[in-house]
Amino acid sequence: MTQYLIHRLLALIPVMAVVVTIVFFLIHLIPGDPVSVMLGPDATEVQIEATRRAMGLDQPIHEQLFKFYARILRGDLGQSYFLDRPVTTALWERAEPTLVLTLSALLVAVLIGVPSGILAGAYRGSLWDQTLMTGALMGVCIPGFWLSLNFIYLFAVRLGWLPAAGYTSLFVDPVATLRHMVLPAISLGFNQSALIARIARSCMLEVLQQDYIRTARAKGLSQRAVVYVHAFRNAMVPVTTVIGITMAILIGGAVVTEIVFNIPGLGRLIISAILRRDYPVVQGVVLVTAASYVLINLAVDMVYAFIDPRIRYE
Amino acid sequence: MKHRTIIRTLAALIILALALAAPALAQTPKKGGIIRVGVMGEAPALDSHWTTATITDILTGHLYEGLYTLDENRRPVPMLAEGMPTVSQDGLTYTFKLRQGVKFHNGKEMTSEDVVPSLKRWGQRSIRGRPLFASVAELRAVDKYTVEMRLKERSAIVLIALALPSSQGAIYPKEIAEKFAPEVKATEYIGTGPFKLAEWKPDQYIRMVRFDDYKARSENSSGYGGARIAYVDEIRWIPVPDVATRVAQMETGELDVADDLNLDAYDRLKANPNVRTIAAKPYYWPVAVFNKKEGWGANQKFRQAWQAAVDIEPILKAMAGGRSEFYRMDSSLAFPEVAAWHTNIPGLPWNERNPGKAKRLLQEAGYKGEPVRFITTQEYKWMYDFALITKQQLEDVGFNIDLQVIDWASVIQRRNNPKEYDAFTTGMGAEEMYEPTLHGALSCAWPGWNCDEEVQKIQVELARETDPKKRYALWERQTLLFYEKVPLIGYGNLFGLRAIRSTVKGFNEKTDRIRLFNVWLDK
Repeated sequence: MTQYLIHRLLALIPVMAVVVTIVFFLIHLIPGDPVSVMLGPDATEVQIEATRRAMGLDQPIHEQLFKFYARILRGDLGQSYFLDRPVTTALWERAEPTLVLTLSALLVAVLIGVPSGILAGAYRGSLWDQTLMTGALMGVCIPGFWLSLNFIYLFAVRLGWLPAAGYTSLFVDPVATLRHMVLPAISLGFNQSALIARIARSCMLEVLQQDYIRTARAKGLSQRAVVYVHAFRNAMVPVTTVIGITMAILIGGAVVTEIVFNIPGLGRLIISAILRRDYPVVQGVVLVTAASYVLINLAVDMVYAFIDPRIRYE
Repeated sequence: MKHRTIIRTLAALIILALALAAPALAQTPKKGGIIRVGVMGEAPALDSHWTTATITDILTGHLYEGLYTLDENRRPVPMLAEGMPTVSQDGLTYTFKLRQGVKFHNGKEMTSEDVVPSLKRWGQRSIRGRPLFASVAELRAVDKYTVEMRLKERSAIVLIALALPSSQGAIYPKEIAEKFAPEVKATEYIGTGPFKLAEWKPDQYIRMVRFDDYKARSENSSGYGGARIAYVDEIRWIPVPDVATRVAQMETGELDVADDLNLDAYDRLKANPNVRTIAAKPYYWPVAVFNKKEGWGANQKFRQAWQAAVDIEPILKAMAGGRSEFYRMDSSLAFPEVAAWHTNIPGLPWNERNPGKAKRLLQEAGYKGEPVRFITTQEYKWMYDFALITKQQLEDVGFNIDLQVIDWASVIQRRNNPKEYDAFTTGMGAEEMYEPTLHGALSCAWPGWNCDEEVQKIQVELARETDPKKRYALWERQTLLFYEKVPLIGYGNLFGLRAIRSTVKGFNEKTDRIRLFNVWLDK
């Protein structure tokens, strides 16, 4: 197990190297120049060139790439062109809102998705099944931003129950954090709950066809005991994979939610960094996001062993 | 009986007096509170010398001050200078007396020692300062409160350049002005403004708090000038990039002021009794700028054909969301609000809607339907709207428009390269129009490159001429030449939508950019 873990962590290095190189070239290939954005629309070519020189952006691309590698090896992601602070500081400041948002959305997705899927699978063809699966279909179809804007209009503007947007740190006022997170977490989590529900339902159906379930039923166990004691845990292995994928999707999906609800997280950071061509920040956010994808996958693989004792990592 | 009547009459009088006094009490400024302002995005810098970005202008206008600023008629008035300068008879030496006892946010007194390095840095760095400093021979401190500027030749732009609010000639403490070279962005923010910077958390907020040692001018407030009084304890600038969210937060009261709102939200905001909508005018002069270095944009007949073809009003109306109160048909190169340079010249070839003339001019230009690269962006909806309708109108008379929609960062990079486009969209604000010699549409250095010899000759004359009447006559000649040479197409005046909560009092609607001094909260 430990050896497997070390092997997987070492595999992170080439993945990261490929990711940072691709991102470096992609961000430099797209047109647009940080200096032009920074100096404003009236800047002249002479001013732009002078500032490019001062920032080292006039150097050949390969030289900039080697300097970038050298910095990364020292654990330095560079200095943001716009934020007047190191990229690592900027990332650290934005990590909390994104983490709180994705975890709350995941909680919403799991709390809605898993019971819905299990119920629908256990009572296949019933009114429960049809209603829940229609809800799941709607969840897949409704765009997150549309849901977000309607939630804001209904719960913040019309009813005044919750704030329309913004974020308060968990360390400053946890109640305010909760109030700010309700709408974004539901908007973001609802979509993903649909995917989890559909997978949970099909896994449940598959497990309920197994011989040992038939045996359990022949022994005279109640439907509740069959579903919750014998079928549920076995159906959870593929669902865990989906929850892992969902976590990764939520990190990506948080971009739109963070923009609409004005949450100062990593998603908003990367969008503004792309728009103003803040190369070091874009590279930093992508690096962290890619690493978190790989680590989430690793964590999911580890969780398998706990859910299903038959799975062993050599 | 009589007693009861007296009591009733007295009660009625008290109620009447209270009712009459209530609005007056509401109009009495009071100190305190936090005003929350929703802005489009994050400032690229809080160094006023460094950039012309609108958001930097808005924010730094509360932190820093220059020697002069503009009143509500867009005329220079003193700010850190005691009064107007004395000018030598030959017009080559300007002497500025500074106000005494003005303090920086760090407690140090502002003197000529600070003014000289600040203006020198601004003169090297700022697009507003460079044209002035091209004719400055020497800037020196005469004594603690006197600064002298000697010119190489007479210049008409000394005062206006020092008064411009965008990329203003802000006075920093000597230590900061000398520490940060012109090509390096200043990252220490000390000024003499009525608010001082307390905290900057990028993408979250900027907190500015009242500067208690601020020394306000004695004149009445007018435009950016006169007395600046900080009533609120704190201004919290909150970047809210999504316009729908800014609107919702205005409705819920999470924001007190919001700028650059979508005109689609006008009805909703207007119907809200707690919100007051404001048509921000002037806002933008939407323009299609030709690349006059190469390609079809360099062909004058081609540009004239474009001018003859377009029907401005439907385009402007679409940009204004179909609302007549948010646009104005006007052919002048300066907004009517910039009264000194607004012109009313009849018979200009503007908004001609003449397809026959356009086709003839296209033929004379030698145009045979080749693709014309017109770049725009969807980041500013109005820009995209006007580019799209312009394309349709032009194609009706035989143009072949290749509309390229890219993000704004790409537009501002590509427009610097003459090989990459034939025309691009942008909007010019009032700050381009305060002084003809600083007008972007007539600049040879700015993208589109209006380097026409006749145009530049008049610009030089305008820079040297100091008699206002003669200058205005030159400006009228320049306007006529503009419509003959067609360096760009102006699409009239577009207004913006701003909103404030009804608890915000004393808001100045006469400034192009938001200013929150003299504003108080009635909560």
